[in-house]
Amino acid sequence: MDKYCLNEIDSVPIKCTQDIVISRQKGRELARKSGFSVSEQTRFATAISEITRNVLTYATEGDCHLFENNLDGYHMVIAQIVDQGPGIDNPKLAMSDGYSTGHGLGLGLPGAKRLVHELNIDSTPGKTIVEIIIKRRVYG
Amino acid sequence: MNKIPILYLNSILIASIQTELTDEEVLSFQSELLTKNNNLLTKGVIIDVSTLDVIDSYMAKVLSDLTTMVKLQGSAFLLCGVKPAVSSTLVDMGMMLTKIDTFQSLEKAFNFLTSNDRKYQ
Ligand SMILES: Nc1ncnc2c1ncn2[C@@H]1O[C@H](COP(=O)(O)OP(=O)(O)OP(=O)(O)O)[C@@H](O)[C@H]1O
Ligand SMILES: [Mg+2]
Repeated sequence: MDKYCLNEIDSVPIKCTQDIVISRQKGRELARKSGFSVSEQTRFATAISEITRNVLTYATEGDCHLFENNLDGYHMVIAQIVDQGPGIDNPKLAMSDGYSTGHGLGLGLPGAKRLVHELNIDSTPGKTIVEIIIKRRVYG
Repeated sequence: MNKIPILYLNSILIASIQTELTDEEVLSFQSELLTKNNNLLTKGVIIDVSTLDVIDSYMAKVLSDLTTMVKLQGSAFLLCGVKPAVSSTLVDMGMMLTKIDTFQSLEKAFNFLTSNDRKYQ
């Protein structure tokens, strides 16, 4: 996940459910400023909402970092949601529809993946990073 | 504390969710709505979301639960004004809100409940 040199725009601590709202609003605003469509802004914000809620459910607290990056003719907006919780045991299983170790519908992670261009999980006990990326082609 | 105004008009409860709510705020809204609906014996409840930018799986589940609860109370439950970006996001996420009766606008929902030939009783 450190494959690019990222330009951090903002960072939101995730400690209570108000921070879910703040994170997704800031994510949406960054996507808007970066020229993404209303539909892409909504999808990105909704994905952030799902993943930051997981932090409160499974890890108590964390942070949502927002970045911008230009790479190979693409402009990207990236959210990295980080926590120091127990980690995601089996990321592959966690990505399947309907899988939940809690009382959820198990749609958070797989649903979020369908809303963005890329979703990457890097998780060990003590440190979990879920990264979501939306990108658009830039010309010139 | 619920911060969404819940209005009563022609035996109908109307609420427009215009600000993004935290999970706790959604739950206090839900509980106040159910209490009011129970006390007032309404024909129906209309929730307008025409200015809401994000409906995530949590909010979707609350709306879906509300449908069931309000119908159990004997009233109709109508949702109106779901933005196009929000509806496509919900479908892609896998949240099929098929049991909720939806209308394009508050006016259409209201007219439906107040007209005589509606299918609800
Ligand atoms: N940050 C995290 N730390 C530890 N485990 C996690 C984390 N995020 C997700 N998981 C694990 O992955 C599973 C799937 O997550 P997902 O968000 O898809 O579903 P859910 O949270 O269980 O339900 P829903 O999001 O639909 O309410 C969770 O049940 C949990 O076991
Ligand atoms: Mg979840």
